[in-house]
Amino acid sequence: MIKRTVKVKNAAGLHTRPAAVLVQCASEFESEFFIHMYGYRINGKSILGVMTLAADQGSEMELELDGPDEKEALQAIVRLFENEFDEN
Amino acid sequence: MPIGPHTPVPRKERISVDFLIESLRKVVLIELDSCAAPEQCAERYVEDRELHRPGLALAGYLKLFSYQRIQILGNTECEYLSNMTAAERQERFSAILDYTIPVIFLTSGNNLPDNLLLLAQEKRIPVFRTPVETTKFMFILRDFLEDQFASQTIVHGSMVDVYGIGILITGKSGIGKSEVALDLIERGHRLVSDDVVVLTKKNNILLAASTDMNKHFMEIRGLGIVDVMSMFGIRSVRYQKRLEVVVDLYLWDKSIKVNRTGLDKEFVSVMDVKVPLIRLPISPGKNITVIAEVIAMNHLLQHYGYDAARALQEKINQKIARKNIDRDKISRAVDYFEGDFE
Repeated sequence: MIKRTVKVKNAAGLHTRPAAVLVQCASEFESEFFIHMYGYRINGKSILGVMTLAADQGSEMELELDGPDEKEALQAIVRLFENEFDEN
Repeated sequence: MPIGPHTPVPRKERISVDFLIESLRKVVLIELDSCAAPEQCAERYVEDRELHRPGLALAGYLKLFSYQRIQILGNTECEYLSNMTAAERQERFSAILDYTIPVIFLTSGNNLPDNLLLLAQEKRIPVFRTPVETTKFMFILRDFLEDQFASQTIVHGSMVDVYGIGILITGKSGIGKSEVALDLIERGHRLVSDDVVVLTKKNNILLAASTDMNKHFMEIRGLGIVDVMSMFGIRSVRYQKRLEVVVDLYLWDKSIKVNRTGLDKEFVSVMDVKVPLIRLPISPGKNITVIAEVIAMNHLLQHYGYDAARALQEKINQKIARKNIDRDKISRAVDYFEGDFE
């Protein structure tokens, strides 16, 4: 299991479309993916779960990945956060 | 594990006295009259779910005084104060007001002399009075605080009320939890929450609810997000439901042992509450919706004291015991059925 803290960079926050991009990306991997925020542990492969967080710009969250392809998955997910979910 | 590791989080760390008073008046419908320092309510906070009756503190023993709790002055305390001399009363009451008390409630319609209320006003401690009797008021207040400070956690799954039994469907992403929930809704059962379920521990039971964000939305793979309430109407949803059974879906795999009799019950522990767990292997042609209904009905039957697996076991045991006396062959279910050849 690996963990990494990331920050939401895009101005509109983690709204519907970025959430869909994130969930879609996570679902391509076999590893389980969870997001820790507000003390809760949310399944990162669930779009409603990710949207429930309503994470705004600048908010921090901890990503947790567990499975055979956790490293690749984390890399891909972190890249999404860095690229602001390819919004532009 | 159907429900992964979960850390209980307190629902709230603290509540303002303003919020407490407002909720007690509007939600719990308790009559409360302000006696002193109502303007302080917004700045005072309750952080402790317990209540305190400051009998000993009024008697002058201030060691270990739980001042951080809500203070309740009932008949005993008020009677005790009224039996003191005016000077003594002023001194003792003033002594407890030196602590940062969140709020004082005078119950059973009791009141304090004006000079004491003036003192509370000066020391900026809010005082309220209520006609509700002490034990009843404390019971209601404690229940309210219990709810506000309850432990909660979020789990992944779909929560449906099936025949009045709260069933949480869990399983890996994409296994079809939402589809089963949708099927159940279509058959007249009620959705509590899809995907994100907030479990709140209250008096050793778990109450499941949705978050105010995902309230009655559902994600169906390939279709996207649908709103269950606008589609199926108000009767297809509910705010909260006690969690009574966890149904964990998994892809059928012959290496996993399946429960064939139902004699051995499995449980899952969520925030130290034990909930019956049913592991359901799914394979093509299996109608999970009907099985979910049967699970609910079976749970109800067990509640009424009837356990099918036990009943059958009992029957077999009796038969075996009898066999030792008369060694019969396997006997038919019906012995003689007057000319009924259908």
